[in-house]
Amino acid sequence: MSLFTTDLSILWPALIAGLLVSISHVPLGQQVLSRGIVFIDLAIAQVAGLGVIAASGFGLPIEGWGAQAAAGTAALAGALLLTWTERKRPEVQEALIGILFVLASTAQILVLANDPHGGENLKDLLAGQILWVSTEQLVRTAVLTALFSVVWFLWREKIGRIGFYVLFAVVVTASVQLVGVYLVFTTLIVPAVATYRNAANRQLVLGYALTIGSYLAGLAVSVVTDLPSSAVIVWTMALLGLFLHLATKATPRPAEA
Amino acid sequence: MKTFIRGWLAALALCAALPAQAELKILATTADWGALASELGGDRVNVYTATGALQDVHRVEAKPSLVARARTADLLVANGAELESGWLPILVRESGNRRIQPGGTGYFEAAAQVALLEKPAKLDRAMGDIHPQGNPHLHLNPRNIGPVAKALTARLVALDAANAAVYQQRGADFAARWAQAIARWEAKAAPLKGVPVVVMHRDQAYLCNWLGLKEVAAIEPKPGVPPSAGYLGQLVTQLGASPARMILRNAYNDSKAADWLSKRTNTPVVLLPYSVGGTDGARDLISLFDDTLDRLLAVKP
Repeated sequence: MSLFTTDLSILWPALIAGLLVSISHVPLGQQVLSRGIVFIDLAIAQVAGLGVIAASGFGLPIEGWGAQAAAGTAALAGALLLTWTERKRPEVQEALIGILFVLASTAQILVLANDPHGGENLKDLLAGQILWVSTEQLVRTAVLTALFSVVWFLWREKIGRIGFYVLFAVVVTASVQLVGVYLVFTTLIVPAVATYRNAANRQLVLGYALTIGSYLAGLAVSVVTDLPSSAVIVWTMALLGLFLHLATKATPRPAEA
Repeated sequence: MKTFIRGWLAALALCAALPAQAELKILATTADWGALASELGGDRVNVYTATGALQDVHRVEAKPSLVARARTADLLVANGAELESGWLPILVRESGNRRIQPGGTGYFEAAAQVALLEKPAKLDRAMGDIHPQGNPHLHLNPRNIGPVAKALTARLVALDAANAAVYQQRGADFAARWAQAIARWEAKAAPLKGVPVVVMHRDQAYLCNWLGLKEVAAIEPKPGVPPSAGYLGQLVTQLGASPARMILRNAYNDSKAADWLSKRTNTPVVLLPYSVGGTDGARDLISLFDDTLDRLLAVKP
């Protein structure tokens, strides 16, 4: 029995992390999909990583709050840049996001090449792993998610384009460190794609059901098979998402509800 | 869903509970220290290894069994010197397992038992050494394994007094076998002394130091950062003027860079296991060095 409780307690932080990420990413993902900018999270994550590496290149301390400030500042700068490009060149916004991703990734290589401190550890600084989420990270993300929910669900009409990009940058910078970039992308995009043909007022509920079910089932399968949890959850969500999409295909309107 | 998980967890708990006796639970970070713990503990210990031989120990994928073992381990056998700094501190801190916290009897670091190579004389960021404590890949000099084994035996005795005699017996047995093996290896490896070699980066330093191999160049001087075009050009020119006998590549390194340089300079690549399990021949610590030497001597007659 004690081993049973031990095992369960391993999963709690991961499950809470998954739920917190879902709360913000499912609605954000619907926006991202309808704007046609699905790779924006990868670009923002790379820009945030570049911020940390650049800060250490200037000799700034990169532990704790220093890294957070550097990552957040860079992500915000990236978000503002994307707001500007969407206004100036809306027809190629997705391509510009792709270019930003490649530029931010290669800039890291260039900065590190001249940084004698090198840095395999630096590169991984922002790569979270869902199983070793710390309590401190959970608290921080919970506060952030609460703030997000207030802004998003109460004032979404008022925040405009800049507000969307800024909110997105802050949320993704935190979630990438919590669960890693694969899970961030999956939680953002898979529910949005799985439910885009459903009635607008049901998409959010179905999306939440899908992510919660996927984190639960994915973690359970990961325990049974002892495979890396992030990858298992990604596959679980993709398969359950496909199932959800096909199962609700015949009812584009909420007729059967 | 909840009952589903509970069912699976209960089944898992049963499976895990069956073989578990009063064995000492050990979490080793690398295959090599895992192999040493098994040699010294025999059937009195249950060893879990965090990384496979072909994995880069700098990064680790979080598996449930790894977190579970961190929570229940009696002893953590780590390499230390920042080899696992990307993941181990978080794992240990979040495990909530008081026994394996740094400084306690359940926390063992191999690097603390020997003198490390490349330790900077003064700590200066501008010098740019990545490992301020020295080069962490110490297990590739078998003369380092002896002191680590001795210290680990003492730790096993301290943690599990009931089996003290067994550990001491096994420790003495291992020390004798190891001393014999070192004498055999050093006699066999005599022709390798002074042979010029190219390494991937600094992870072969202890092997070269032990065998007297002369490191004339490194393909990737900064781990994780691809070398520049200028550097590679200079490398080809340098090796054209004074050729190396072989390019050493570890089993976990990507083969592209070594193969590229091999073609340009007509220097053979020697694949080395680096770690227990890195090649089919390297099944335990003794065969790790047997296999390494066989591969090196196959090129240099």
